[in-house]
Amino acid sequence: MMAVDIVMGLLAASALISVIATVLAVQARDLLKAVIFSALQSVAYTLMYFMLMAPDIVLVYAAVAVGIYPLILILLIKKVGRYEV
Amino acid sequence: MLRDVAFAVTLVVFIVLLAVATGLGGLGPLPPPRLRPLAVNVLNTTYNPYYAARNFTADAPEAVTAVVWDYRGLDTVFETAVFYGAIIGALALYREVSKRVEESRPRGLSTIVKVSTAVMVVAIAAVGVSTAMHGQLTPGGGFQAGSIIAVAPVVLLVVFSKSFLEKAGVRYAKMVALRSAALVGIGLAALAVAIAAGAMGCWGYVLQNQPKPDAPLGYPPRALDVPSGGSLMVFNVLEMLAVAAGFTVVFLVLSTSEKLAKEEVVGEEHGY
Repeated sequence: MMAVDIVMGLLAASALISVIATVLAVQARDLLKAVIFSALQSVAYTLMYFMLMAPDIVLVYAAVAVGIYPLILILLIKKVGRYEV
Repeated sequence: MLRDVAFAVTLVVFIVLLAVATGLGGLGPLPPPRLRPLAVNVLNTTYNPYYAARNFTADAPEAVTAVVWDYRGLDTVFETAVFYGAIIGALALYREVSKRVEESRPRGLSTIVKVSTAVMVVAIAAVGVSTAMHGQLTPGGGFQAGSIIAVAPVVLLVVFSKSFLEKAGVRYAKMVALRSAALVGIGLAALAVAIAAGAMGCWGYVLQNQPKPDAPLGYPPRALDVPSGGSLMVFNVLEMLAVAAGFTVVFLVLSTSEKLAKEEVVGEEHGY
């Protein structure tokens, strides 16, 4: 039962981090910072998927949400400008 | 400031309400903790040399990959086709400029970043290839491997430049050809057993992996003395190529310089 409690605690901590990162990403005026907060939220989600025993999802989510998606957004930010007015 | 506080309070209230509703059984009756009959069936047949009903097996220890490419293989073939179509849509937006090579020679980031990226890119590619080749043994598979490998050209694109990638041979036409070849390969691998059975005069199925009682042909269950899952390994490697090449070509097109991209839309107000 102990191991289940630890997993649930880590799950709750990851969920909390993801909520905070989402709020920061929504509020950031600097779009580059918003992308970094969004990646942090994705890292928290990746940990949650891992603790919910879905390693297949972890592999694709880590690559897409932390690698490809922020890089696409950075390419776009390079074209449209870094600061939201 | 007041707006931020209101936003945070709303979020907390929403999450707490959602948690309370779920805790009170808002999702309806949850599944029992013991295995359900479908899961028992999959676990018995996916890799079990001693099971009596060996006639229906995928011979792969990784049940998820076995389900994705064998139990419901047709779904995955169509998913791959949808991904292919989505990328065609993205390429159609830039159809005029995507084949042109840029003249500018950007320098990229500093030497420290470049050297560490060069090391990382090799590691990323190795992880991706092993994810596909071990897809029938450990978690992972073709799509996972393809998206892991696709990170490598994107990082190169940002750290070095587009012309560096093009000089290294990662070009539009090559990636489109590789992607189409991999998709054709998936189709042929799906039909291979049925065609071979037709040529030999016995019964065979589309997307057949291991021999069935009424269809004696199938893919070899082992490669180099390791369970290969029959067709699963073939599908995983081909899907990896298709996904990696598809993502790469989209990034190449997206990183077209502003000057070239504007040429694409310049005539539209004259309505040609």
